[in-house]
Amino acid sequence: MAVRNAVIVGGNRIPFVKAGGKYAQASNVDMLTATIDGLVARFGLAGEKLDEVVAGAVLKHSRDFNLTREAVLGSALDPHTPACDLAQACATGLEAVTYLANKIRLGQADVGIAGGVDSASDAPIVVSEPLRRALLKANRARTLPDRLKAFASVRPADLAPVPPGVVEPRTGLSMGESQALTTAKWGISREAQDELSARSHQRLAAAWDAGFFDDLVTPYLGVTRDGILRPDTSVAALGKLRSVFGGADATMTAGNSTALSDGAAVVLIADEDEARRRNWPVLARVVDTQVAATDYVTGNEDLLLAGARAIPELLERNGLTLADFDAVEVHEAFASTVLATLAALEQDGHGTVDVDKLNVHGSSLAAGHPFAATGGRIVASLAKVLSEKGPGSRGLISVCAAGGQAVATILEAV
Amino acid sequence: MPQVLHFDELPSVAGMLAKQVTRVRLPRLGSAPAPRTLPDRRAVVTSHRQDPDRLARYDRVCGYTVRDEVPASWLNVLTFPLQTALMAQPDFGFGLAGLVHVSNTMTLHRPVSVTEQLWLSAWADNLGPHRRGATFDMHGEVRVGSEVVWSGTSTYLVNGAQAPAGTTARPVVEPGDDWPTVRSQTWRLPADLGRQYAAVSGDVNPIHLHPATARLFGFKRPIVHGMWTHARAVAALAGALPAAHTVRVRFAKPVLLPTKVGFAVEQTADGHRFAVVGSDDRPRVVGVVEPAQKG
Repeated sequence: MAVRNAVIVGGNRIPFVKAGGKYAQASNVDMLTATIDGLVARFGLAGEKLDEVVAGAVLKHSRDFNLTREAVLGSALDPHTPACDLAQACATGLEAVTYLANKIRLGQADVGIAGGVDSASDAPIVVSEPLRRALLKANRARTLPDRLKAFASVRPADLAPVPPGVVEPRTGLSMGESQALTTAKWGISREAQDELSARSHQRLAAAWDAGFFDDLVTPYLGVTRDGILRPDTSVAALGKLRSVFGGADATMTAGNSTALSDGAAVVLIADEDEARRRNWPVLARVVDTQVAATDYVTGNEDLLLAGARAIPELLERNGLTLADFDAVEVHEAFASTVLATLAALEQDGHGTVDVDKLNVHGSSLAAGHPFAATGGRIVASLAKVLSEKGPGSRGLISVCAAGGQAVATILEAV
Repeated sequence: MPQVLHFDELPSVAGMLAKQVTRVRLPRLGSAPAPRTLPDRRAVVTSHRQDPDRLARYDRVCGYTVRDEVPASWLNVLTFPLQTALMAQPDFGFGLAGLVHVSNTMTLHRPVSVTEQLWLSAWADNLGPHRRGATFDMHGEVRVGSEVVWSGTSTYLVNGAQAPAGTTARPVVEPGDDWPTVRSQTWRLPADLGRQYAAVSGDVNPIHLHPATARLFGFKRPIVHGMWTHARAVAALAGALPAAHTVRVRFAKPVLLPTKVGFAVEQTADGHRFAVVGSDDRPRVVGVVEPAQKG
């Protein structure tokens, strides 16, 4: 069977904002629905049945087991549009794009939407483990005395709610603490981190000013621009911030680490022939994807550097080198994640990435990082960048994720 | 020319309502109740900035998706303080407490964003006799600039009141009696739903709040706001709602809290017809949703 071309037609996201800010009252379903409807309006898809919508969220309530389908049902799409939730931590959005693109390439779908959403404001709070077990036991009990007995083992301290943890279950370290180990190991300087962060803000601000996001973003709840973006920040200003992760000679600050954020992003993907038949823009083809993981648990490798494993495999399979790309997007979980990933690639003999080609319109440090929404944001922006550069231009994406994983994807303008 | 009651910002309902509750008119023994009138007056707020946080809380209680385009019923909520302000005037014939909401019609003429500044107004007219007393209409209108973006009418019944001699109320176009009966949804309405809706809508009428306060008005338990049921039904239509639409509902019987109700809906030639049904299979609220007529 011939494999077809899956192409990025366009994208939509809502501006990303800091957690606890303007979207504090909005749920994942709300934000994903509004974001899908923005895309539906942009491409005139109201009332239309798409072949599939796939998205996910990292911080997810158990009631949202069918998050994406619920969003579809709340949207202007035909209710016959099926949907599926997918999860791979911060790489959820990019994996969603991969899932849908592969279905389109195999002829299982013609047109669909892929993306993700996350609210760090509306994160689930759970009860303590002893209380949870007691509640389940009481629920199974048939008599009142049995029901009461179920709570006998619950201590007062068990009644306190448990906020969502962003620590790795196996290391007990938060992302920032893990990355601090990586930063020290690879000798990434404070200055290099702040420089990358300042550049991210300046480039994102310039892209907003140039109207780059006019057909990629719809306002939400009165927010028209990314809320975390500081257009006037500088290396000097960032240099004044106190470090937050790491020990005595720590270099990681709130300025060179991503903030907890709220937002959603989706991408419209179609079979190339179908897109041309509908006179849709054909921005870029989804060429190939590679997932990789590191052995980080025992400290042999780094939690967020799986990109340095995924990228070489992907390049080799496609007969490409880093020099063959016109634009490279490395998700800025932390400034030092990007710098350490590039350092690891260089150490393995893959050369380096020119600053002019790296995160050309800024990335997560400036835009914010609503976990599962980041993939959709990057894919839509990069596809547009490549399309502007002209047919044949290539782009590389790498998004790291919890669990020591990363997803790398190649896009090519057609 | 109607007299204009001008407000810089939407007035608070709670205070006005408290005054009216203490002003409930008791019929004097041995004398027929005096006919009452409606003053020719408009309450107006010329520039209202919407609060996205409050909209989101309202959306959550009613089951709407939180989005920039506001629900039609949200605009009704925004005109409600003006309705209350009219009723709080000493020469207004009727107080809000004890009024029975009979029906509501509203039209969203075009999608309205939460970021738009609104001109809001309300006025009352169409007083006429009813077999159980008298009815009148409370109108609301929302404009952006000079463009009317939303208009709505609530018809209220005042039990036992007497309309001036010789008046007849213009009949209000209500949904018909052929409501759908096949329930596709069950809604569980908690005991505090009236308080939840009061908090986001500002309608703190005591019949909705607590068994004790509801009993003062002859209800064993609090009843949910009719406009909550209206909103929940429209929210259930979600993506099927036309961008500009008219919703007409009739409040057939009060919904006592807590309870479970069924929702039945069917497509019509150009829209939807729905019913919110109690466990006795009798409708509590029936309604139709159709695309707005271009006018």
